[in-house]
Amino acid sequence: MTMASTLTGSAPDSENVYPPTEEMLARPVDSETTQRGAEELRETWKTPKGFRYLTAVNNSEVGKWYALSAFFFMMCAGVLGLLIRVQLAVPGNDFLSADRFNQFFTMHGSAMMFLFAVPMFEAISILLLPGLLGARDMPFPRLSAYGFWCFIIGGVFVMGSILFGVAPNSGWFMYPPLATEADGIGSDIWLLGLSFIEVASIAAAVELIVGVLKCRPPGMRINLMPLYGWYVLVVGGMILFAFPPLIAGDFLFELQRSFDWPFFDPERGGDPMLWQHLFWIFGHPEVYIIFLPSIAIAAMVVPTAAQRPIVGYSWIVLSAVGTGFLSFGLWVHHMFTTGLPSMSLGFFSAASEAVVIPTGIQLFAFVATLMVGRVKMNLPMLFIAGALAIFTAGGLTGVMVALAPFDWQAHDTYFIVAHLHYTLFGGMVFPLMAGVYYFYPFFTKKTLADRTGRIVFWLMFVGFNVTFMPMHFTGLMGMPRRVYTYPSVMGWDLLNLISTIGAFIVASGFVLFAIDLLRPRGKQPLAARNPWKAGTLEWSHNVPEENWGSRSVPYITSRYPLWEQENIVERMDAGRYYLADAPGHRRETLVTTVLDARPIQCLRVTGPAWITILAAAFTGGAFIFPTFHWYPPAILCGGAAIACVIYWLWTATSQIPEKEKEMRDVGLSLKLPVYASGPDSVGWWGVWITMLGDATAFASLVFGYFFYWTARPDFPPAGIEHALAGPLTLGVAALVASWAAIYGARVLNRQGKVATARSLLVAAPLLAVVGSVLFYVSVAGSGLEPTSHVYPAIIWAVMIWTIVHTGGGVIMQCYCLAGTLFGKVTPEHDSDLWNVTLYWHFVCLTVVVAGLTIGLMPRVM
Amino acid sequence: MAGTGKNEETKTLAEEADSLWLITFAGSIWAVHFLVCYCATAVICAKLGGDAAAILMLRLALGGVTLVALVGIAFVGWRSWLQWDFLDDWDYVHNLARKEDRHEFLGHASFLLSIISFIGVIYVSLPVLFLETCQ
Repeated sequence: MTMASTLTGSAPDSENVYPPTEEMLARPVDSETTQRGAEELRETWKTPKGFRYLTAVNNSEVGKWYALSAFFFMMCAGVLGLLIRVQLAVPGNDFLSADRFNQFFTMHGSAMMFLFAVPMFEAISILLLPGLLGARDMPFPRLSAYGFWCFIIGGVFVMGSILFGVAPNSGWFMYPPLATEADGIGSDIWLLGLSFIEVASIAAAVELIVGVLKCRPPGMRINLMPLYGWYVLVVGGMILFAFPPLIAGDFLFELQRSFDWPFFDPERGGDPMLWQHLFWIFGHPEVYIIFLPSIAIAAMVVPTAAQRPIVGYSWIVLSAVGTGFLSFGLWVHHMFTTGLPSMSLGFFSAASEAVVIPTGIQLFAFVATLMVGRVKMNLPMLFIAGALAIFTAGGLTGVMVALAPFDWQAHDTYFIVAHLHYTLFGGMVFPLMAGVYYFYPFFTKKTLADRTGRIVFWLMFVGFNVTFMPMHFTGLMGMPRRVYTYPSVMGWDLLNLISTIGAFIVASGFVLFAIDLLRPRGKQPLAARNPWKAGTLEWSHNVPEENWGSRSVPYITSRYPLWEQENIVERMDAGRYYLADAPGHRRETLVTTVLDARPIQCLRVTGPAWITILAAAFTGGAFIFPTFHWYPPAILCGGAAIACVIYWLWTATSQIPEKEKEMRDVGLSLKLPVYASGPDSVGWWGVWITMLGDATAFASLVFGYFFYWTARPDFPPAGIEHALAGPLTLGVAALVASWAAIYGARVLNRQGKVATARSLLVAAPLLAVVGSVLFYVSVAGSGLEPTSHVYPAIIWAVMIWTIVHTGGGVIMQCYCLAGTLFGKVTPEHDSDLWNVTLYWHFVCLTVVVAGLTIGLMPRVM
Repeated sequence: MAGTGKNEETKTLAEEADSLWLITFAGSIWAVHFLVCYCATAVICAKLGGDAAAILMLRLALGGVTLVALVGIAFVGWRSWLQWDFLDDWDYVHNLARKEDRHEFLGHASFLLSIISFIGVIYVSLPVLFLETCQ
């Protein structure tokens, strides 16, 4: 890979200095320069006013909206939880009907998981990361905004359904056949609405991973990165491998709901167990996706409370990464009672026990840090202490239910309800509360009331235990989950009543917290700049608030720069470090290398726009209309969404800089290129990461195919047709040729052979269209009827998946062609070509695997 | 130098590609071992569940796979131990802004991950050792 020609006009090396010497950093900046830089930055990063406020894309605004929306959905789901508890307070209660009860517990779980826990992690990370990394903003601000608008549209749609009494009612894991056969549109709302939100989650994961890898401040090598960054990296990676199986599952499920393709219908060769597998391959890592970012907050609070660096940095990294791996080997422990071979259960039971080791290591590292430091029991630390107590209890019951024989007894009882709430409250809610108290001065420049906070803590802590401790016993006494009432003779009355009382105590804690969180703070004095005396970079923030993120991007040489690097805040304020001004009034941030964080690019990031909201609204339409089987408007919306995204990319990304502005003087005698392509650019990394998730979803579909083969004797059914070999082979060949063409175009364009590259760019989409049509014909022309049996259905599904991807690829190839024709892509500025070629590497892989799976495998089997 | 820029990312990655990969190797071996155990068992139990000879073969084969996995992880662990180079300077904190610290840190983290993965593989293979039938 040669990146040489992207840097035309690069200054001779001798002019560039990196790393900066101490002497350079000590040189004072004259106050006029400081002031001018500050004014330029203020002007460049100002938040739009009035109605246009909605167009803001800055991480501080989007993060705030995200967090508040997730909090709102959490309160809604909490109210549902309370209503459930009211219904169960006494035996034989008729406060809720059975159906409404089903809707409420389904939505309580779904909303807590999809509308609160995961989005809250994304929200907090979007708010925090630039601060932690001394960056101006995330690398793709508009993508964050797009993700937020998708989330809010999908969230309101899914949550709103409960007001119309049509909410999903088959439980948050939507097991078929209950959910496939359920009347009404509840299941469709769940499938489509939440798939839509999953897309937003993946967008956020891409943003956060690239942010951590590429937007660290100069000098912050990977061994100096704040632990929060490590956790974000691991969780982002987990999202990429965990969410796609669910998206694939949703895709199959919705095909069954809408078109009667029998993926989960055993009478026509389907198998409901496939859904359980796909759901829990997502669902168990999901637990850790929720847990790790919250424990990451603990990893920030604990060193501050102990006033010393964390003990065992490498050990915590190990436990985060180790948990990330092991958490993918646990999914069947949700399926111990489904009759799988006991040897298989054994593997999952063993892995479930093994995951305790890394989880335990990080808790011990925290305890060790507290033991060797001088602990100040401040409010955040109080919540962390509560979290450790509750989570440990939940972890211990987890060890119990990870043993298959115990689980056979406790499965689907209130024991499980108690266990999961202990892990989620201890592993997520309490650390999150700690985080809110800890970071509130960073987010808002004001503080939350300490005394109220302590009352909130005790209400929550006591109320939580009063609610859920008795559930262990109600469970062991045999009370099943999800029953809307029970007779008095069972002896569960008192325990249930206690749980209900506890639930109201917890709720009062949350109400008090919400009041303190949201009450106007106009007259309250501003918070101190570093109120907890922390050592990490986010506490160099400006009070009163400035929107520029970091006044100047510092050079970092330590894990706790505010403790260990003298004068760093003064120097940042003076604009002594990088990017201290914004002469062209362009929003910029630094891009650095993955391992050693050497600065390599001054990235121009995108600013406020309506187009992201429009794109999200149309994407919403494409997902929401199919709920009501209104396909024409859905297709229109899908087209409009694609058009919006193309407009957004064309007008705002990979812009070629003006001739004399190819290099930007970022200060401290360093000039960096403004444009980058290939692995040097953040866009390339974004595509790479997105496509990794996409490939996982495709792998899940292929897994489905082989799952049927393993689980069903009649797969493929005797004497059935197969996909037509001729058209399929030709189709795959044409698509591979299209990949070769785009690859060739990239290489030739870089060599300056623009005319040849253009002709390849004309050939590529033509080949792709021909290939897609042949691929389609090989299945559609074979007489395979998708509603007749699961074998044709899965072949159709794989075919649809493939040609949707090649179709996207055609649009991208045309985009590149237009780029070379209209001067957006040149031999020196070819990042669009790099990114599209990368996309096509994945498409090529998909096409070949799909061809082998539907063409070759059935003939071999 | 950052300014030499040209293929900075490619260069650093090439230098450190080994240690970057190293950090994922042990966990990946665990994952592959886990998948092989799960898939092989699922297929054999579904297709030849009643056949005692097939299950014995399965158990022996998985035992072999386990040994291979353990040797692989041990090798990764040894490589990371060398990279950590602990006995050289007794450094286990790696908090300095030096190439050496970054290099040793990646070795250290990867060494610890090898231990976890080693234990994980042993755990996962216990059912093969003890269970004699699919049910």
